[in-house]
Amino acid sequence: MPINEPLTQQIREHARQLLESERVDCVIGYEASPRGGARPAFVYDPAEVDRLIWSPDCVHNLTTYLHDKKKPRKRGEEPPRVAVVVKPCDSRTLNVLLAERQIERERVVAIGVACEGVVGKDGQPAAKCGRCTDRTPVVYDVLVGEPPEAPPVEDDWSDLARIEEMPPAERLAFWLREFDRCIRCYACRQVCPGCYCTICMFERDDGLWVDAAIDVPQKHIFHLGRALHLAGRCVECDECERVCPMDLPLSLLNRLLVREVEALYGHRAGREETLTPLLFELGPEGSPI
Amino acid sequence: MRFTTLDGLRRWLDKLAEEVDLVAPTDVDGHVLYRPVTGSDQILFDYERPELSAKDFLLPATEVLLRIEQKGKEVALEEVLPDRKQVLFGIRPCDAHGIAVIDALFLEQDPPDRYYRHHRERTVLVGMACTRMWDGCFCTSMGGGPTDATHLDVLIRPGEEGYFLQPVTPKGVAILEGLPVEEPKGEPLPVEEYNEPVPVVPPEKWRPLFNDRIWMRHGERCLSCRICTYVCPTCRCFDVTDRVVDVQPGLTRIERIRVWDACTSPNYRRVAGGHNPRPTKPDRLRNRFYCKFCYYPEDFGPLGCVGCGRCIVACPVDIDITEVMQVVAKRA
Ligand code: SF4
Ligand code: SF4
Ligand code: SF4
Ligand code: SF4
Repeated sequence: MPINEPLTQQIREHARQLLESERVDCVIGYEASPRGGARPAFVYDPAEVDRLIWSPDCVHNLTTYLHDKKKPRKRGEEPPRVAVVVKPCDSRTLNVLLAERQIERERVVAIGVACEGVVGKDGQPAAKCGRCTDRTPVVYDVLVGEPPEAPPVEDDWSDLARIEEMPPAERLAFWLREFDRCIRCYACRQVCPGCYCTICMFERDDGLWVDAAIDVPQKHIFHLGRALHLAGRCVECDECERVCPMDLPLSLLNRLLVREVEALYGHRAGREETLTPLLFELGPEGSPI
Repeated sequence: MRFTTLDGLRRWLDKLAEEVDLVAPTDVDGHVLYRPVTGSDQILFDYERPELSAKDFLLPATEVLLRIEQKGKEVALEEVLPDRKQVLFGIRPCDAHGIAVIDALFLEQDPPDRYYRHHRERTVLVGMACTRMWDGCFCTSMGGGPTDATHLDVLIRPGEEGYFLQPVTPKGVAILEGLPVEEPKGEPLPVEEYNEPVPVVPPEKWRPLFNDRIWMRHGERCLSCRICTYVCPTCRCFDVTDRVVDVQPGLTRIERIRVWDACTSPNYRRVAGGHNPRPTKPDRLRNRFYCKFCYYPEDFGPLGCVGCGRCIVACPVDIDITEVMQVVAKRA
C-alpha cells in the first residue's frame, strides 16, 4: 500500500518536536518493512524520525508496547515517557489501561490519527474498519489528518451470525477443530494490550489451572479463559486474530462477549476511562450473567 | 534413480499407510501442514513449504515420557515408546537438514536423548524436492538447497509425467521395495527460481556484537511469542513437567510429559525466586539468533539455522532473520 505523504510528514514533525523538546524519550510508530507493508518502530533520536511512516498497512495496535515502558530502564530512574501513534480503535486501549492504572496519563503522548481504515493480512480492508464508528481517536494529545466524512455505521454483529446459526454440538465441533490447529504459541496473548499479567494463569509452572501440554483440552481452556479475561476489556482491535499463524477466528469469541457486556451493562471497552463492569458490578440479584 | 507415476506413488503410499505410521503434507483448513494420514487421498503432492517443520514427529510438541501409578504404597513406572515404523513422506530438504542439526545434540552427544533416538531409529525420511525457492527461503546460503538429498533416506523429484525417486541410504532402498517402477519418462523438473543469497558470519564474529544496538532495534518490536521457535526445524528446547491425570481413593495416576518450549518466551529463563536473566524482549530475541549462529555451532558443530524461511514469513511484526544476518555481516 502506498505511503500517505501528508500524514507521514505530520507524524514525523510531531515526533521531532516531542523528542527535541525532550517531552518524550521514545516515539512508537510505524516504519516501512523491507518485506513490504509496515511494522512497529521505536524512535529515540530526532535525527531518525524520517523512519516513521503512515499507510493503510499500519494495522498494528502499538499500545501493547506501552507495557514494556512501565518500568525504568535503570534502577532508580524514572520510567520513560513515550509517544505512541494511535488509530481510533487503538486509542480505546488507552482508556482501558488508564482505568486499570497500567499507564500514567502524563507519561504518554498519544499521536492520534484520523483514520480512513487499514488493511488486513489479505490486503483487503480490515474487518474491524467495516464496523468502525469512530474515525477519530477517543483519546489523543495531537491529531493528524482530517476526520473523514464517514457515515456513522451501526455494528450489526453480522460477523457472529455464522457461529450463532450452529446448534450447540456443531458449534463445539467448530471450535474444537479450530483449537486443534492452534499451536499454543501465545502470539494472540502476547500481542494483546489487555493481556499483561506478569504470569499468565495458563502458563504457570505448577500447571495449577491447565498443564503445559499442547493438546486440544489445554488450548480449549486457554482460549475460553482468555476470552473471559478480556470480557468488557477487549477493544476489538483484532490483533490476536491478525497475528495468529493458524488463522483462528479469535475475534468471534471476543465479539460474542463484547455484545453480551454491552447488552447487560451498556459498556463498550475503552469508550470511556472506566473499568469493565463485568467483574465489579452486581445487580440486586447478584451477577446478571 | 527410480521412476513412477502419480498413480504408482499413490498405490505405494496406500500400502505404506497400512504398515507404518505415515506422515505427509496435508491441507488443514487452508494451511499446509504435516499430519498423520491413513491414505494417499489425504496427501498433497503439489504444495509449497509446509508452515511448520517436520520436527513434531521426532520431538513431539507434547510427548508422554512416563506413566506413574501409585496404588497405596506401591509405585509403578511405565515408559511409553511407540515402536511402529514411521515414514515422513514429502518433507522438504530443509526439514531433513533441520533434523540433522538436532541430531548433533540429541543423537551425537553422550548420552543421547533416548526418546529422540527412539523416534529417529523408527523413522524413514522421504523428501520431496522443491521446484522453486519459496517466499523467505535461503537454504542455499546455509549449505542446503531445493534438491539437496544429503540428509534424507529418499529424495523424490517431480517430473512432467511422474516422479523420480532416488534412494540415499540403505533405509531408503528398503522402503522403496514395494514401489511400482516404470520406464522413466522425461527429466526431473528444474528449480524455477532461486532467491538471493544471504551472508553467513562465522560464530567468533558474532561475539563482539553482543551489545550492538541492532538487538534493541529489532528486539523491541518482538512480541516474545513462540511462533518463530515453533515453526523452526532446528529449535529444540523443551520443558518437562508432571501432570496428574486421575485421582481416586488409593490410586493416583501421573504422567511425565515433555513439551516444546521457546527461548523467545518471557518466562523461559525465569528461575526460582522470580529472577529473569533475560528480562526484556531484545535480550530474548538476541539469544535466539546467538543460539543459531554462535552457541550451537560452537558447542555442537552445525549452525542452528537451515534457511527454511518459515520464521520470516510467520512473524507478525516482520522480524526477518536474513535482514539481521545482513546487518551483522556489515558490522562484523
Ligand atoms: S489470559 Fe488471563 S491470565 Fe493470561 S495474561 Fe491474559 S488476562 Fe492474564
Ligand atoms: S496465536 Fe493462534 S496459534 Fe498461537 S496460541 Fe493464539 S490461537 Fe493459538
Ligand atoms: S521474532 Fe516474531 S515470531 Fe519470533 S517471538 Fe518475536 S514476534 Fe514472535
Ligand atoms: S531460524 Fe528461521 S529460517 Fe532458520 S531454520 Fe529456523 S525457521 Fe528456518
